[in-house]
Amino acid sequence: MELFRVSRDIYGREVLQGMSWDLLWVFFGLGCVLIVGHALYRLILAPKQR
Amino acid sequence: MTTPSRANSGGPATAGRIVRHALPDRVFHWLGAACVLVLLGTAFLPIIGIEFGWVTVHWVTGLVLIAAVLFHIVRVLVRGTLGSMWLGRADAADALEVVRATLERKLPSRRPGKYSVAQKFIHHAFAVVVLTTSITGSLMLARIDTPWWQRNPYLLADATWGIVYVLHGLGAQLLITMVMMHVYFALRPEKLKFTRAMIRGWITRREFDEHHDPQRWQVDR
Repeated sequence: MELFRVSRDIYGREVLQGMSWDLLWVFFGLGCVLIVGHALYRLILAPKQR
Repeated sequence: MTTPSRANSGGPATAGRIVRHALPDRVFHWLGAACVLVLLGTAFLPIIGIEFGWVTVHWVTGLVLIAAVLFHIVRVLVRGTLGSMWLGRADAADALEVVRATLERKLPSRRPGKYSVAQKFIHHAFAVVVLTTSITGSLMLARIDTPWWQRNPYLLADATWGIVYVLHGLGAQLLITMVMMHVYFALRPEKLKFTRAMIRGWITRREFDEHHDPQRWQVDR
């Protein structure tokens, strides 16, 4: 998985084009993991809120 | 960020209610939220294969978000309410208390002021990311034709444009995770009072007494 999108200019040099869009699913997955992790923590381990 | 005050519209329906978010702050929040959702949708739906003409909607919505953010910044500065979101020593003590209580599986004994340390952190995270995407997005406006100017892709060097695009893309993708977390916490049962306050403006006196330190959030009695 690439972190960045790059292209080459007319001289053959690499030109940065931005973040890789493959990371979209990484950030989405991270959100899911954090939500499920917190929900499980609250359900199983955490004391009841006031 | 609002100046603490008692709900002053009077009558039995408002007795015992404390204003947490004034109307202009709530309008800013929900306008900003709508803009961010539209911006994320117009940015990422085409990338995952849902094609449509997204560019105009994206940059116009971006301008609306920038205007809303500028309104918010000016309002906070004019009203002098920056301090309610400031991270100080008491917040550091709150954070340590939360860590200690979590490890001991107890409830924290310290109560926050108007905003908890977690709420301050998420505010500042959104501030950094939205400001970054707004500034880089403003620069990127130079690369499209609008009713007011013709595109000028040579405003910056190619390498600089690359950095602008990286920051814009990184901020946008971070917003996916942050929005998911924000919505999740807003919908958690123990946080619904804060969500209601962002919709209707107030919390009850009982909620205030249970969840806030009156020395750190001084409201009219």
